[in-house]
Formats: sequence, structure tokens, C-alpha cells
Amino acid sequence: MTTLDQHVGTRPIPNPKKSLITKLNAGTGLIVGIIFALLTYRGLSTVLDISIYELNNRVLLATMFMWSIGFLAGIGAFIGPIRWLIGEDLTAEEQLYLAGDGQGIKRYFKYCTDHKVVGIQYLWGVIVLLAVGGAMAMMIRTDLANPGGHFITPSVYNSLVGLHGITMIIALIIVATGPFGNYIMPIMIGAADMAFPRLNALSWWVLFTAIPVLCSAWFLGGIPTGWTAYAPLSVQAGPGMNAFIAAIIIFAISTAVSGANITATVITMRAKGMTWNRVPIFVVGATLSVAMAIPAFPTFMLAMIMTAMDRSFLTGFFDANVGGTGWLYAHLFWIMGHPEVYVILLPGVAILMEIVPVFVRKPLFSYTSAIVGFAGIVGLSFLVWAHHMYMTGWMPMLNGPFMVTTEMISVPTGLIFLVILGTLWNGKPWLKVPMLAVYAFLWNMLVGGITGLYLSDVPADMYLHGSMYVTAHFHYTLMGAALTGAVAGLSYWYPKMTGHMLHERASYISFWLVQIGFQVLYLGMFIAGAEGQPRRVVDYAEQFATSNKISTMGAYTIGIGFIVLLWAVIHSWRHGKIAPMNPWGAKTLEWTVPYPVPLVNFDTPPVVTSDPYGYGRSAK
Amino acid sequence: MSEHDSVDLKPTPGDRLANFYKRSDVIQSTIFGVIVTGIFVILGGKFYTKWMPTVMSTDMKAIERLMVVFTWIAAPVCGVVLGVALYTFLNRHSGDTQPPDGPATRTNGPIVLLWSVVTSLLALTAVIYGITELNSSSIASAKNAEDAMVVNVTGSQWVWTFEYPKLGVSSHVLMLPLNHPVTFHINSVDVNHSFWPVQLGVKVDANKLAETIAETTPNKLGEFDVKCAELCGLYHAYMETTGEVMTVDDFNSWVVAQGGHSA
Amino acid sequence: MTSSNMTARKRLASALVATIFSVSTVAGLGVLLHKLSADSNGTLVATKEAGTITLDGKVYPKASLTMGVYADKEQAAADGFTGNKNDWVQYGPSNHLILPANTYITMTIHGYDGGEELNNPYFGKVVGTVGGTVNIDGEDITSLPYNKIQHTWTLHGIPSSSQDPLFVSVPLLRVEEDEETGWVPTEDPITNFKGHTITFSFLTKGAGNYVWNCEFPCGDNTYAKFGAAMSGYGYMSGKVTVTA
Repeated sequence: MTTLDQHVGTRPIPNPKKSLITKLNAGTGLIVGIIFALLTYRGLSTVLDISIYELNNRVLLATMFMWSIGFLAGIGAFIGPIRWLIGEDLTAEEQLYLAGDGQGIKRYFKYCTDHKVVGIQYLWGVIVLLAVGGAMAMMIRTDLANPGGHFITPSVYNSLVGLHGITMIIALIIVATGPFGNYIMPIMIGAADMAFPRLNALSWWVLFTAIPVLCSAWFLGGIPTGWTAYAPLSVQAGPGMNAFIAAIIIFAISTAVSGANITATVITMRAKGMTWNRVPIFVVGATLSVAMAIPAFPTFMLAMIMTAMDRSFLTGFFDANVGGTGWLYAHLFWIMGHPEVYVILLPGVAILMEIVPVFVRKPLFSYTSAIVGFAGIVGLSFLVWAHHMYMTGWMPMLNGPFMVTTEMISVPTGLIFLVILGTLWNGKPWLKVPMLAVYAFLWNMLVGGITGLYLSDVPADMYLHGSMYVTAHFHYTLMGAALTGAVAGLSYWYPKMTGHMLHERASYISFWLVQIGFQVLYLGMFIAGAEGQPRRVVDYAEQFATSNKISTMGAYTIGIGFIVLLWAVIHSWRHGKIAPMNPWGAKTLEWTVPYPVPLVNFDTPPVVTSDPYGYGRSAK
Repeated sequence: MSEHDSVDLKPTPGDRLANFYKRSDVIQSTIFGVIVTGIFVILGGKFYTKWMPTVMSTDMKAIERLMVVFTWIAAPVCGVVLGVALYTFLNRHSGDTQPPDGPATRTNGPIVLLWSVVTSLLALTAVIYGITELNSSSIASAKNAEDAMVVNVTGSQWVWTFEYPKLGVSSHVLMLPLNHPVTFHINSVDVNHSFWPVQLGVKVDANKLAETIAETTPNKLGEFDVKCAELCGLYHAYMETTGEVMTVDDFNSWVVAQGGHSA
Repeated sequence: MTSSNMTARKRLASALVATIFSVSTVAGLGVLLHKLSADSNGTLVATKEAGTITLDGKVYPKASLTMGVYADKEQAAADGFTGNKNDWVQYGPSNHLILPANTYITMTIHGYDGGEELNNPYFGKVVGTVGGTVNIDGEDITSLPYNKIQHTWTLHGIPSSSQDPLFVSVPLLRVEEDEETGWVPTEDPITNFKGHTITFSFLTKGAGNYVWNCEFPCGDNTYAKFGAAMSGYGYMSGKVTVTA
């Protein structure tokens, strides 16, 4: 664990020119990674005949994993573990070097252990993923603007759908816990750094290596399966599927590392006096979210390993011809998949709960309800997965019980509404962009929640399952609620992360473009779904033309809105108004530190005497 | 906005509670809430009946009714959430400085309790209604199973085919006699598909070597669409065909024309 | 990090430039994808023929087209078709067919491949042709056994209010490995170039967009043999545009 004294009173590394640790960065990582990948590919393809389906899959998977390992070796991720193997550890000087103090912009391209650097790395990683996923969404909507499927071929379309899906899912899983969970959260709880700073760097750089792997799917023939990658379709798919499998396995490792790290940090490194009932609600939401991911993601990883086995070693986990079953895949996938939507949702909601008291100048209403709501969602989310399988025919007898657990989730979700509404009540909200997002969330989550009620019901789901209605529903919850929360978090914490205010007019313009475009897009899609248009189709019948055209117009509006936001983020990074230390007048600890935040965050470790919601006239 | 005067009077909590119905914030939120609830009740009646396709079986009728009823159940929730949200939104603070602090309300036990109980009851209503529907459709299919006509549905990448084993006919379009119960035995020869005769309100996956069964009774003459609702590869979008519910006489002559023997 | 000394006009200009740049980047990507999706082998337009034919009291103009189906790239090349990239089983010379509306279409397919068994025996039937038959090397048949087929040519589309339903499915008799010449279709495609000539006719209706694909599992070594060539657009699949 990093403690204050690790960073204090250290001297520079003797002979810095000769020390390996000072020479490694993302560039050396790329070089070693590519060398590893090339050697693996060349070596294995001489031994194995890559014209044979399963041998080709083995070679490609091995190449992708070796790229990841090579990159990590090249950036210096294994220096610490190797030292442990020989019974040593990094010296204090080397640790200080790894923390990147005083290395300027270069530290963002290094194996840097400073949680603030990792937060910024995650932020840009998320922005890139969202931009790529968003661009794919524009292609999808362009194709669907008119019936006839003339824009792209079905195989390109199917790949777009799958890659858009998985890119956005990965982006949304890390969109809040990545940038804000790493940058802001340790400061919020009064810690000097994360509990395991090197794991923190590892989680980011492991994730980074998954991105080129995923992109390589394009050049290997794409993925025809959608992001759910249902077997046996995924077993039938071409070599691009290996990229999907490898990317998910690498990503699952990253989330496990980061989840363990964030959980350990919050449990062990809170400031003196920060008892559990004084922890800021964002910290609670983010921690529960990553804690939920720890048991959830391994099942996805397992499902991917089994798919890889079926493809590379001709095992038959999912092949009914030899006694396997596709239902096994569906179970493993959704045991991850349903907690996962709450992994995405909780941090976004928690950010908004953090924002409401600040902008309404009232205490968070019923902190206990918020905790109970979160905990209820976490608990129930592991008991609802088979509502994705009502129509698979797996076990119709269990549809009833799964319907009950699913509809019970509306009760803890209701508590979240109560907390936000109770905080708003009798207040005069200060409608800055973060606060506007709270209103957008209330509407979007309401629509997402109610449409979820229909989908949770077996007879209604019999009509809606697999239709555009489902697509519209989960975009309302994941994008309308979770992403809106994360974007609110960006404009809220931007001053602390960059020292500048996010350009205000551009944020307003972006907010309204995105939210209005969003309503238009998914209203059209709800109609298309109610009319009976299946999802994931490259082409559709004439009768769905109007609703699809409406959706496409909405999508373009969202696209422009996010471009404006991207401009604001880049522009304000250097040219924005200089931010005061506490521009919103908030009471959480991150606003008590200056920008740039010192390496160890606090000159003197803070002592907490109350929760951070002591707003209000008659506060005692 | 002057409506928050009553808030600033700083009455004792007891007064505020006893006279809550006189407070302008409560009145305004309630009015907004009632309007929103009303809109949702009306929309709930219109949206789905307007956009969902022709109802051609009792199952589809039940689904459409369920969508409407669930919208009604959700309408008061929308009313409360949007009523309060609208009121506070209109009561906003403008300007570049922070607003003054609001009342330091930490929680309100009765409200939390009331909220939890009401949302639980609404969820329970939805559960009970859904289970009842589920049950009645299972009973109906069990009752009809005896004299139902069997149709073997085969999903293959990317065409549906239908076989009428008792009639010795197979086809790529799904012809059904009016008011006659039909049992679909659904299989796949390759990946997963999902059999979806849209207007009949039936949907179930086609899996390889794991037959699924669905039952319905078409009760309206006319054409319907058959689609695939599970991404099944290259031509998933084109895995669609038509069906038609016809009179028993028409159905029999179709069977004969196809070279089968009429029932 | 210096504070902002950018003028409002400059800021607006930078925002506009950034927006236009980003929009054109995404649009450029779209154009690129669209280009990549173009029919690499162009289109195959049905040839109009002289004379008409009367069926059920209606007069139809006539048109015809010819395709080949090959076991691999080498075989396709021997028949003068070199358009596809992968060495898979493939139809040629193009996968995008253009047919006139309300016309009697006569289609000839030269099939040079062998085969194993259908996944779905339904596709052994001849469906949707004039007379319900297909002519294979001069002989009219109405169906083929599920294990005597090399490929099928199956035309279908999305039922839509804007176009007529059209469904044609024809099984193509496989080339037997033990026939007189001793020809093995996949092993020696060029020296003993031999196949079946399959001819059938069907009627197009109004204008519309349809697709065709092969229903015979010929994506070897993949699950259900529907991967590879079967799932790679443009090998054993394509589109049919019926033009008014």
C-alpha cells in the first residue's frame, strides 16, 4: 500500500540514465507488443496449418494474448513482480519515479501509478471509445434511414451492430468508475492514493491493450453475432470472432484488477472519521458497482473461454450435436449481463446523487434509502438474469419466478427516485449543466424503468423480446440515465481534473442537442418496436420507414451534440476559464485540495467529522 | 416565482404537516402530477393500440391489453416523479451565483415508508396481473392441446419452413385455419432463431435438438408476418415470410393444392 | 496552462471548424464503408429476349440469365470468373442480379460442385418456378433427395407493403465423384471440367428488393457448415433487384 512516507523524503534515482524503469513507456510497450505478436504469429503458423479453421483460431488467439503480454512487458508492468520473484522490491526512488511527479505530459504515456494520471488516461480512453462507438451508431442509423439495405452489406452491418454494442458496453462500464473513480474518489475519501497504485496502472494498461485487439476484428472479417455473441452463432463465425473473445478476456482481467483495487481502497483508506455513514454517495455507488463486477465478469470470461475452446479445440460446450447446449452460453452470459447493466447504472446515478445536494443546497434526502436502494439493486441483480431467456424455451416453468424478482427491482429503483425527488423538494435548484442532467435522468430513467416493466412481464415480452422496443428501452437506461450521469460528472469535476471550467455555453448547447435528439431517436424506435420491427436488422419492411427516419434524424442530432461537447472538453482543457478551488460550493473533500492536486493529495491527512451533506438553513 | 412564500414562513413542522394541502408547492406539484398522470393514462390507451399491428389471436389481444394496463399502473408513478420534477424545475434559481440554502431536511420517515409501500404495491399489482395472464394462457393452451393441429416449424439460416405432419404438406408460408387451435413444434437445424408470427402474439426460440412448443388459436382472417427475432447471421433481416389465417374450406383447398390430404 | 485570452470570435471559429471536421470524418468513414460494401463483381442484368409467353391468360415478356456455381476459386477462374477474394465455393459471375418486373425469367445455372447432405430437407423441393419443375440436363424434376444436392438457389425477401412476395427455391443436382469420367469435383477442377446444366423459369412481379442465398450447407469446417462462404456476403448469397 502507498502511504504518505513512501513519497516523502526520497531522493532522485541514482544514475537515472542507466535505470531501465526510466526508459519504458507506451512506445516501448507498442514495440515489444508488436514484436511478441509477430513472433507468435510467425512461429505458430509455421507449426500449425492456418488454413484449418480451429488451428487458425488458436494462432490468432495466441497472437492477441501475446500482444497484450508483450505490451505490458514493454511498458514495464512486470518489473515489480520480477523483483518480488528475486526477493526484492522497487526502491523508494523508483516508486516515486513511477508516480510520475514532475514528468509533465510524458507521465500519461507511462506505467504511472498516480491515481490522478490513471484517471485522466481512463477519461481519454473513454472519450475515444465513445467516439468510435458513436461513429458506428451513425453508420447503423444511416443504413436504417431508408428501407432496402442499400448502404452497407449485411455482413458489414452485423459487424457494426456487434462492435458498436461491445465498444459502448466497455466504454460505459468504465465511463464513471474509470475517470472519476480513479481521479476523484481517492481524494473524496481523503486518501493519498489508491490502495494498490501499481494495480491501478495495470488495470488501465491492460484495458488499453484490449482496444487494438477489438479493432482488429474489422480486419479479420468482423463479428456477425452482436455484442451478446450467442453460441452457436459465435462458434460458426469467422476469424474476427477471436478478436472479440480475446478483447473480452483481457477486459475482464482489467475490471477484476480495478474492482479489487477500488473496493480495497474504499474499505481501508478512508480518512480518519469517515465512518460508513459519512461516505459520499458517489463512493458508495462506485464501490458497489465494481464490487458487483468482481463476481459478474468472470462468468463472461468463462463463457468466452468456452467459446474459444469450441472454436479452437472443437470441444462441444455449446454444440447440441455432441451434447452441449446454447442455453449454457445464455446463462453464463446473462449471469454477467444483468448485473452488468447495474454496474453501468449505479455509478452514473451516484454521480447525480452527489450533484443534487450541491446544486439544491439541501442535504441528500434519506441517505439510508439511497444505500438500501443501491444494495437492493445489487442483491436482486444477481437473481434476474433469466428474464433475458423467457423466450428461449429453456424452462418456461421458471418464467414466473424470474418475473417476480425482476419486477421487485422496481422497488429499490423507486427509492433512488425518492432520494433525488426528496432532495429537490422545497429547494431552488441551480440549473447549471450538472443539475440539468439530473432532470434529464429523471425523465429518461422513468421511461427506461416503465418500459422495463413491460419487458419484465412474460406475456408482454413475448411480443417485445428481440424487437426494436428492447433496443430503445436499454438505450434509455444505459445512455439516457448512466451516460447522462457520467457526462454530468464530467462537467461537475472537470474544474478539479483540469483546473479550468468546462465551456458553459457549449455544454448547454450539447446538453440540449443530445437530450432532444435522444428523445426523438428512441421515440421513433419505441414505435418501430411496437409495430413489430426486429432488432439487429440491416433492412426492414416499408411500414417501418417513417419511425426509422425519425430515429435517424434524432441520432444525427445526438452526434452533433456530442461533437460540440468534445470540442468543449478539448478547448477548455487549456483555454477554459480558470476554475476556483470550489466552484460549486460543495462540501466533499475533493474540493478542499488545490489544482494541480499535490502528489499525495493532502498536505495533512484530513479528518472528517460529518457527512458531506451539511447544507441547509437550520443545519446543526 | 412567488409560490414558495409558504416555504419561507418557517412554520413549525406540525403546522406544515397538518396544513399540507394548503401549501402552494404541494398544490402545484399535485396539479402537475394529475395532468401528467392523465396524459399517461390517455396515451397508454392510445400508443399501443395505435402502433401495435392487427390483433389476430386471443394471445395478442391479451398482450395489447397488458401493455395498456401496465401503462395505467405506471401513470401515477410518472405523475409523482414528473409532478415534483416539474414544480422544482419551474421554481429554479437562475444566475451565476449559488442559490440560498434550502431547508435542512435529512429525511422524512412517513414519506419514505409511504413511498416504499406504494411502489411495492404497484410492483405487486404488476406481478399478480402478469402471473394471472401467464397462467390463463397456459391453461388455454393445455385445454386446446388435444385437438390442436400440429405444425413443425424449422428455422434454418435464413428461411423458415413449415411442415404439417398430419396433412403431408410442407411450405415456406404459414397457412392456418380460422378458430382452430394450432401447436407449433419449433426446431432449428443450425444456430438459434426465434419464431415470431407477429400478429398472433407468439414468440419462442428455435434451438437445435431442443424442441420448443407454442400454442395459439388465430381468430381473425387475414395475412400476418412471420419473422426471426434472434440475430442468426448474415441474412437475419431477411428471415421473414408471410402467413395467412383462412377459412377452414380455403385452408383445406390450399392443402389439397399443395398435394396433401385435407383433414 | 495559460488562462483564456482567446477572443469570442476565435473560439466560435474553432468550434465550427472542429464540428465540421468531426462531421466530415464520420461522413468519410460512412462513404468508405459504403464503397467497401459495393458489389465487387458488378451486377448481372437479365438479357431481354424476343417474344412473349402467355400463362394463365396473362402475357409476359421474356428475359434470361446464366450463372455458374464453382467448388473453388480455381474452378471459377477456369470458367472465366475471377472476382472473389477467398478460395471458397462461390456463385458467379456476379452476386447482384437485376431483373425486369412482371417478366418470365429463364435462369440457367451451371453447377460444378459435389455435395453431402442438406440441413433442412425442405430445400430438396422445387418451389416457386413455372410448373413447379426444374430442368436438369434435359430432364424435368420436382424435387431432389436431401443427399443428392450440391447447392440451392433460394430467392426470398422481406414481406413488405411496398413489394410483392417472391419465393423461388431450386435444388441443384450434385456432381457425383464416381460418374463415368471419374471426375472428383474438388480435386481436379480444370482438366475434367464437368457439371450439370440446371434451367428453370419463374415470374417476377412488381419492383422490389430481394435476396438470394444457397441453403445447402457448404461452409466446410464451420458449425452447421453455414460459416465461411455461407456467411461471407457475396459468395453463396447476393441480392436481387427487380426493376419496374
